[in-house]
Amino acid sequence: WKKDEFRNCNQTPFCKRARSRKPGACNLIATEVSISDDGDLIAKLITKIPENNGSQDPPVEVDSQPLLLTISVYQDGILRLKIDEDQSLNPPKKRFEEKIDNDLGFSSVVYLDGDYEGVLRHDPFEVFVRERGNGKRVLSINSNGLFDFEQLREKKEGDDWEERFRSHTDTRPYGPQSISFDVSFFGADIVSGIPEHATSLALKPTSGPGVEDGFSEPYRLFNLDVFEYLHESPFGLYGSIPFMFSHGKARGSSGFFWLNAAEMQIDVFGTGWNAGQDKIMMPVDEKRIDTLWMSEAGVVDAFFFVGPGPKDVVRQYTSVTGRPAMPQLFATAYHQCRWNYRDEEDVFGVDSKFDEHDIPYDVLWLDIEHTDGKRYFTWDKVLFPNPEEMQNKLAAKGRHMVTIVDPHIKRDDNYYIHKEASDNGYYVKDASNRDFDGWCWPGSSSYVDVVNPDIRSWWADKFSYGNYVGSTPYLYIWNDMNEPSVFNGPEVTMPRDALHFGGTEHRELHNAYGYYFHMATSNGLVKRENGKDRPFVLSRAFFPGTQRYGAVWTGDNTAEWDHLRVSVPMLLTLGLTGISFSGADVGGFFGNPEPDLLVRWYQLGAYYPFFRAHAHQDTKRREPWLFGERNTQLIREAIHTRYMFLPYFYTLFREANVTGTPVIRPLWMEFPADEETFSNDEAFMVGNGLLVQGVYTERAKHVSVYLPGDQSWYDLRNGATYKGGKRHKFEALEDSVPAFQRAGTIIPRKDRFRRSSTQMDKDPYTLVIALNSSKEAEGELYIDDGKSFNFENGAYIHRHFKFSNGKLTSSNAAPSGAGGNKFSTDCTVERIILLGLSPAPKSAFIEPSNQKVGIEMGPLTIRPGKNPSFATIRKPNVRIADNWTIKIL
Amino acid sequence: DDQFLLLLGVSPQDEDYYKGLLSSPSSTIKCKDGSFKFSTSQLNDDFCDCPDASDEPGTSACPNGKFYCKNAGHIPFSLYSSRVNDGICDCCDGSDEYDGKVKCPNTCWEAGKVARERLKMKIATYQQGVTVRNRLVEQAKLAIAKEEAELSKLKNEEKILKGLVEQLQERKEQIEKAEEKERLQKEKEDKERKETEEANLKEKQNGEQVESSEADALKNDIHDKIGEQVESSEADALKNDMHDKIGLLGDSSSSQDVMEGHGDSESEAQHGEFDVKEESSIGDVKPLQEDSLLHATEKEEQLTVDGQPGLDTGNQAEVEEDNSESLSKEELGRLVASRWTGEKTEPQTQEVSSAKDKNHGTEEEDAYGEEYSGYDSEEDEHRYDNNDDGDNEDQMDDFGGEDHDDSSPSYKSESDDEPDLPAEPSWLEKIQKSVRRIFQAVTFFQTPVDKSEAARVRKEYDESSAKLSKLQSRISSLTHKLKHDFGREKEFYSFYGQCFENKQNKYVYKICPFKQASQVEGHSTTRLGSWEKFEDSYKVMQFLNGDKCWNGPDRSMKASILLVKLRCGLNNEVTDVDEPSRCEYLALLSTPAVCVEEKLKELQDKLDMMNKEQPTSHDEL
Repeated sequence: WKKDEFRNCNQTPFCKRARSRKPGACNLIATEVSISDDGDLIAKLITKIPENNGSQDPPVEVDSQPLLLTISVYQDGILRLKIDEDQSLNPPKKRFEEKIDNDLGFSSVVYLDGDYEGVLRHDPFEVFVRERGNGKRVLSINSNGLFDFEQLREKKEGDDWEERFRSHTDTRPYGPQSISFDVSFFGADIVSGIPEHATSLALKPTSGPGVEDGFSEPYRLFNLDVFEYLHESPFGLYGSIPFMFSHGKARGSSGFFWLNAAEMQIDVFGTGWNAGQDKIMMPVDEKRIDTLWMSEAGVVDAFFFVGPGPKDVVRQYTSVTGRPAMPQLFATAYHQCRWNYRDEEDVFGVDSKFDEHDIPYDVLWLDIEHTDGKRYFTWDKVLFPNPEEMQNKLAAKGRHMVTIVDPHIKRDDNYYIHKEASDNGYYVKDASNRDFDGWCWPGSSSYVDVVNPDIRSWWADKFSYGNYVGSTPYLYIWNDMNEPSVFNGPEVTMPRDALHFGGTEHRELHNAYGYYFHMATSNGLVKRENGKDRPFVLSRAFFPGTQRYGAVWTGDNTAEWDHLRVSVPMLLTLGLTGISFSGADVGGFFGNPEPDLLVRWYQLGAYYPFFRAHAHQDTKRREPWLFGERNTQLIREAIHTRYMFLPYFYTLFREANVTGTPVIRPLWMEFPADEETFSNDEAFMVGNGLLVQGVYTERAKHVSVYLPGDQSWYDLRNGATYKGGKRHKFEALEDSVPAFQRAGTIIPRKDRFRRSSTQMDKDPYTLVIALNSSKEAEGELYIDDGKSFNFENGAYIHRHFKFSNGKLTSSNAAPSGAGGNKFSTDCTVERIILLGLSPAPKSAFIEPSNQKVGIEMGPLTIRPGKNPSFATIRKPNVRIADNWTIKIL
Repeated sequence: DDQFLLLLGVSPQDEDYYKGLLSSPSSTIKCKDGSFKFSTSQLNDDFCDCPDASDEPGTSACPNGKFYCKNAGHIPFSLYSSRVNDGICDCCDGSDEYDGKVKCPNTCWEAGKVARERLKMKIATYQQGVTVRNRLVEQAKLAIAKEEAELSKLKNEEKILKGLVEQLQERKEQIEKAEEKERLQKEKEDKERKETEEANLKEKQNGEQVESSEADALKNDIHDKIGEQVESSEADALKNDMHDKIGLLGDSSSSQDVMEGHGDSESEAQHGEFDVKEESSIGDVKPLQEDSLLHATEKEEQLTVDGQPGLDTGNQAEVEEDNSESLSKEELGRLVASRWTGEKTEPQTQEVSSAKDKNHGTEEEDAYGEEYSGYDSEEDEHRYDNNDDGDNEDQMDDFGGEDHDDSSPSYKSESDDEPDLPAEPSWLEKIQKSVRRIFQAVTFFQTPVDKSEAARVRKEYDESSAKLSKLQSRISSLTHKLKHDFGREKEFYSFYGQCFENKQNKYVYKICPFKQASQVEGHSTTRLGSWEKFEDSYKVMQFLNGDKCWNGPDRSMKASILLVKLRCGLNNEVTDVDEPSRCEYLALLSTPAVCVEEKLKELQDKLDMMNKEQPTSHDEL
């Protein structure tokens, strides 16, 4: 972490200006309000000329043009506010407007949801959403009068627009163009979201009273490659999502999203920040969190999501930015990575060691050193002479490989990618319109201008088997350094005055660059199999909508307990903001974890949506078997746990794919009224059925776990029950982190272990029924072929399980007549475990096969040694795809 | 056949355990761990009843079971139950895939043949290796016995010689004292003479002549006493001074002995020289520092060694980065990249670097460079082969099975550091004789000192003490050598003073057991570690505390280490060197020293078993 290398707010003129503005400074008023043909509300924002109450001061000179304001409303409680310069007045430049590439919900424009209405107050200008009837506010913009819009203007004699930071000069040919405004969240106990920051889930104030040490800077959204980031900081990391989530006990959740790809800085005000500012009239009885949003460029294109439940807000947000893609099944299993597996021998060695130790894994990763001199799409011929054979060899065990492909292209005329890109003018240009030349892994490099759809298409073609020599259908891709990272650029990234397609400045779209690169790569993998194979691409940089293209990870973390701890709020925040498929490097990228930390990381990481171990090249080897027999066993069990729950995870990925609800969730997403959960980011929910608590200290003796709700929880280790709504103190057992199944849920598992998820395909299921106080439970299972897009046309199985009145029923949860494709499986259920049923019954009756099966006592999970036993229906052997009932006798 | 199906996946050792179930379908036995009971119908019924997997030896139902494949014609093998019916053929007899989804051909006989051939070759290597090893053990025992005998003889001689040297020293000191006294006496007399003359002159002037021989004598007496006191204290001081100096010299020479004896790194000594040079030649300081940085670009870890030892490299990085504003774009790029890679970023100038290395290079290293060319590196072609029995170790043992003379050029004896000792056994007697002569001739002190006698004593003393120090250094080197752990049967004795080399791409690795290991690239040498000990029952040699190496983002430096795994082979040969983690090296050394008889028996048993189990027909389920 090199603090001096990055700009703070004071060194960022637009941020400094915005932050120093006083509440009520905005003197814009809305005039000429009308309704457009599309049903949008349109208005002009003009500067109010103060009345000259007999004062001798000359009248204030107004040099700004009216701004154009549009309010649109969409179904499901979404209000959109756009403010831009009026193009009919010929501003010097069209400001960059990030597009939403999504037709979901945009075809039918309706008035805001029946319970809510959007209000545009004219003087002073303010937009807010309120509950119809009681008039309670939900969200508002410019209530504190901090709105400011720096209009583009022609450069005058004597204007010095250049900005200098360290040795870098930003020419800023268009001058100041920033936008800032305040947003208020009503009835909010916490606000969350706006990743990526390594900090708590509930965002701490950065301005006003109650600011903690290290949090006096606004939350920064500026995609950066930060070396050794801190675990507690509002500093911006690899990705940016300007979407804030609020939650409160009284009203529930709401969200505010500003679609803008320029650098943004966001202040969260501590309560009482504006005490003594009598200029502002705000309802005082409301619990409210005020925030200040500042962006260097772009337009106002803001969305208000009314909730009211947390899952409603994610659904609303992902209806605008897109739902998370359905991943390949293998990608939801365990990934083994290191910078670097050096050569084919190393790859085979690691691969066979997993088998030797009976530890499953699905994907082996190759970092930058596999290439010929950091030229992506090539192989080091000495280290990897036979890449196809290598991939096929792993594929024979059902395993896949991933290679890295970054956006910096080595400037070498003998490198075909560079040749094509430079010949065709496919590179980002510098301020003087030459190909931008920056320094990255290969040395002198240029960057593909993926903002241009044609260049994206060209890039995508590079992934065809013909073009990417040495690639096979078992090879998938990793996009790193796509912030973009430029080692000799300002703040280790591209200069803001670099030029993209259409003359757009880099400053205007910086935060979206990595997203476009991810998109292009992902499309490439779709293309290479003619749309028949789901892509898997991991990206480090991200932006709203990234969820449609693949997974992300939290970048270069460190092998420290604090980094293990902060991984949870970081991943929960990503989930809240649409990116469900995310993980942190297990073990920590930098440094060498003590075995205790590594084991705890595996035990927690097994529940990350994306589960990958990774390590820096200078670290000691840390494959799971290198820390003695006991630790090998512990890590094996952690990985086994993930494989056991794969059917459950996959079902959750499908839920995210349909509704946006993340795979892992803050406790308050499942228990929105339980205030105890609001600041809890050490534990999380996997779906609605599992609660997982990390162990974040060395040689911990005890762990305190808050179990929310009024129902019981079943300890996954031994089936013991614990009351909800209470904090419990548990002994910190070595063999797993505390994890609990929520009473009232049914969780599908596969308890047989294989080399990889591929071989589990035909294995039978185990259903774990955790009964609630009324002896009921329900759950779901989603299955498809795990790799193609056929599920989009109905080729999937979606079962709903319900247990009530002593009877388990499996019914079809797929909408009838969904698509023409079918998916079938012969998989059966081999075991049904009933938790919370006593005394244990003796047998059960299955319909429609009219067959009686025995109920025995069996363990919750099969592992050596004596474990408490629970009623287990032995070998019901019902087909998972069928309708059936099992009645307890 | 039913019984056969029931006992699917059961190893021969376990057949007894399941016996009880074979009598009737309703019989039950306890799981091996005693946790539950299961019946005949639950045996291999594809449902896990025993947490320890004892009811499911032949299915994948229990996560921690083992499946036994007979593999007739090859080696029987126990698989993890996770492999059963997973669609991948694991057993060469195909018995692990029986649900009909894949068809696995029986390849045991073919695979077995290959394995048997390999095993036979290995046995042949071991057979010869065992013989070579026995010879090594014999030779080592003789050599050690000889050296021990020599040592005890030397110690005896040392004792005698030490006594003589002490006597001579004493005599020498007496002589010197006497000489000094004479000298002072002479001075005094001269002075007195002068005084007397002056006094005479005065008297003459005063016209008085006082003569009192008694008074003179008294005066002389007093004078003498005072003079003696002064003299003796002065002499003491002088003596102490001398002693200190001698002591220093003695210390330094003895530490040099230790260095030679220990065989401590040559390069260390060179570094020492280099340091001195750096400090003394002020005009050269700047280029030298640059050199050391350049050197560091290749071997970062040498920065602290070559440069300023106390320098905190982290601070230096800070300093550099603070200056980053003044860097060129490329320098800045390299600098930032170096955070992740840990590489140093100064531009490399090969010419300067090698020029410096030339000054630096030693004849010995050059000699190695030349000698090395005769080394015939042998790559193992089978390294990637899937060995059916999964016994990689055995496979490794197959390396370098061909005959090589022990005088293979891949290793050479380290330069002989032993001091020259007179070969004649009677040398001590000669000294004794001449010393005796001295003492006979000069029984007591005479003044004035006999000049020729004094010279003789001095010469005798100088010669004897030089011999003593040679003797002592030989004793110390022998003692040091014999202190080493040469293995259970001293089978590694011949490794002492040897170095083994291997070339990997641009690096030459030099492994000197009991001493150190290094990596040589061109003229630059990185110490991978100093000899620590044998590990893992003499199957691994450990070299620790090599040159410092970047370790991770915190910029901490850690010392390199090298582990050398030993494999049975007919000659001493480094077959592979690898760096699995940064600064952690792993080498394979084939040597007859580890060709042990027990292992040979084991291999022979294995071959017997493989030959016994020939498949009668194609067993397929």
